[in-house]
Amino acid sequence: MRLWRRRAPDRAVRELDLLAVDLETTGLDPSRHQILSIGMIPVRGLAIELGGARQFLVRPAGTAGVGPSATVHGITDDVAAGAAPLEQVLPEVLAALEGRVLLAHHASIEVGFLTRACRDRGLSVPDLTVVDTVRLQRRVLRRGHVHSQVAEDDLALGAARRHLGLPRYHPHDALTDALACAELYLAQVAALGEDLTLRQLLR
Amino acid sequence: MGADLTEVTDFLTARAPFRELPGRLLRSLVRHSELRYVRRGTRILSVGEPGGSMFVLRSGAVDITDPEGGLVERSDPGTCFGMSTLVERAPSRFDFTAIEDSLLLVVPGATFHATCEQDQAFATFFTSAHTARLRRAVSLLHTTDRGGAVLRTRMGDLVRRDPISVAPGASIRAVAQLMAAQHVSSVLVQEDGRLVGIVTDRDLRTRVLAAGLDPAGTVREVMTPDPATTRTDALAFEGLMEMIDRRIHHLPVLDRAGGLRGMVTGTDLMRLEHNNPVYLVADLEAARDVATLATLATRIPVIVDQLVAEDATAQDIGRVVTSLGDAIERRLLLLTEADLGPPPVPYCWVVLGSQARHEQGLASDQDNALVIGDEMTKEHEHYFAQLALQVSAGLAECGYPPCPGEVMATNPRWRVPVATWRAHFSRWVDTPEPQAVLNGSIFFDMRPLHGAVDLVEGLRTDVLARTRGADLFLAYLARHAVARRPPIGFFRGLVLEREGRHRDRLDLKAGGVAAVVELARVHALLSGSPEVNSHARLDAAARAGSISADLAAELTDALEFVGYLRLRHQGRAVRAGREPDNFVDPATLTDFERRHLRDAFRIVRAAQQALTQRLPLESLS
Repeated sequence: MRLWRRRAPDRAVRELDLLAVDLETTGLDPSRHQILSIGMIPVRGLAIELGGARQFLVRPAGTAGVGPSATVHGITDDVAAGAAPLEQVLPEVLAALEGRVLLAHHASIEVGFLTRACRDRGLSVPDLTVVDTVRLQRRVLRRGHVHSQVAEDDLALGAARRHLGLPRYHPHDALTDALACAELYLAQVAALGEDLTLRQLLR
Repeated sequence: MGADLTEVTDFLTARAPFRELPGRLLRSLVRHSELRYVRRGTRILSVGEPGGSMFVLRSGAVDITDPEGGLVERSDPGTCFGMSTLVERAPSRFDFTAIEDSLLLVVPGATFHATCEQDQAFATFFTSAHTARLRRAVSLLHTTDRGGAVLRTRMGDLVRRDPISVAPGASIRAVAQLMAAQHVSSVLVQEDGRLVGIVTDRDLRTRVLAAGLDPAGTVREVMTPDPATTRTDALAFEGLMEMIDRRIHHLPVLDRAGGLRGMVTGTDLMRLEHNNPVYLVADLEAARDVATLATLATRIPVIVDQLVAEDATAQDIGRVVTSLGDAIERRLLLLTEADLGPPPVPYCWVVLGSQARHEQGLASDQDNALVIGDEMTKEHEHYFAQLALQVSAGLAECGYPPCPGEVMATNPRWRVPVATWRAHFSRWVDTPEPQAVLNGSIFFDMRPLHGAVDLVEGLRTDVLARTRGADLFLAYLARHAVARRPPIGFFRGLVLEREGRHRDRLDLKAGGVAAVVELARVHALLSGSPEVNSHARLDAAARAGSISADLAAELTDALEFVGYLRLRHQGRAVRAGREPDNFVDPATLTDFERRHLRDAFRIVRAAQQALTQRLPLESLS
């Protein structure tokens, strides 16, 4: 609860520090699959700080390799083999998250994999505050239509960006997706009202 | 662990001046920048604010307006703005407003300056080209007085390209070939980096050709040595005076240090006469595609606005707008013919309604039709359908919406051979029905625009020969013309639009402009006049005795006055970023204008009553 208190829930969105994070993985299950790449980019208030953009390639542990997921993100076994092991990368990611709200699209993936990675390596699991652009997009789409259903397809990163007039990006590169998510967040906040507080974003 | 923001860098490298920036500098610029998102309607930077950043529009749209609210530029993604505050280290001279939700790359002033210091080309791009362009746009847009642009523009702003120069030892033939290849009418002669002479078309004519000089000789023999020059900071007005005094057409422009910057010609200065749509017509005729035409077409409202401000007559403005519309349509036809191949049989593309009458305004729909040679067969239909489709789509792109009544060549009914047209006209004139006459009346305002004009001339001569005695047809047409009651009672608020979008507005078209147009048409057909322009029709009708000369003159004045108010209203709407329409808020009229407007409406009503007496409307069931 220490971090939670520090990131006081009544803090205004325009004063919020976030870190947009995207992971490329060998699959969707944190207990079986592995992280291959981590992209992250800080959002300070209502501005994306391009200078803080970071991207890590991660060498998967064991012998399973990249597997069929290479067709999605384009990271091959050869590339992955030359990367740093997660043990080296993870502390840098956790340090960057320190004092920041984690921002992701379908954040359960990022939270799930990061939590699992910490636990597997005996690191203390950070007490993360998470803003999920999927949930925000649901609210953007539901504005004025309280009872309407939102189609799952409309919540995909590309579709959500298109809906808010953002340019089309090539998906499945961790840093590009993190940037795409950060831009989407700015557009969502603009659409929902910039006077929001963190508490309202989490609702 | 590289952090290449490829989406951002790729976006920038597709555009000048970032394209030429070394990768290291570009990545550094990106790393020092932020991305921000602004909602539609957000003011990004206002006149008088210090600014301090350069913005690159990543997505969305931003309007740049001057302190008077005039639109300077509508920015597309990739446009840079705000750097004038950095270059000039002065408060913003413009307002920047997002007109769509927009994503902005914000480059801090320090990063901008650092990049300028490390890359000369980047610095030059912003210090010269862009500010000059903006300043030129502003001065062209906002000249309330005749000649104002000439007084505000600097010669340096008029330089369009790097100077073209040769050495004094170059052969005359080589110089002539260079001029032909570069499409210029003069070259400068430089020796040791110093301007020593100028050679113009005229010199080649008089000193070489006429004098029988050998073109193998050197240019030194025929150049004008030590030509008159001007400086970049001289006013265009001074340059113009210099040219007039010396009877020359070319002035080399030097910068403060005496370096050669370029050339300004008399034509460049004439272009400053912003109310000169001749240049727009020339540009339209040279346009290579629809997109270029559409971009050029956005200048039409600006020209109308300026013409109104300069007190041009509505009649003249109508002619100008029509010639511009004609130029666009003709160009579209040529482009489409180039695409589809030559027509299988002769055809004539005709324009109808206000465009045919040379009375086009800013809120005009497409009104056109195809008159095709009678040798047309079924297999030719596809060609003409395709022609109509492409031209109509192009017109829509250029801001002429499709006609709601589908009076367009895209409608197969109005894309037929001469014989079918003859049958249409015969039905309207010889066996008239009220609704059919009403719907067909627009076709009596027909003007051939492109193709085999003789197809239409013959048709019109035949039709006019028949309308004169067609009493029933004329009576229906007249009944329709007098049914448009002018809103004489508008002072009492009785005849304003009661509801909808135009509530409490005065319709200047229905009971005003359109009423006069229809009266003029009836009188023209009554007297068998081939004229289509309303002023010309009223003139002809007065000469033929179909209407009294006094009433004709008064109607002409009424049309002019109401037409002028309408154009002024449309010009204002466009300037304010609204769609132009025909509905005026009476509160925006002065007492003087209201009085004249009431007079104009009364004249229209009187002319309608005179027509009612002339034609036996009561005898119609």
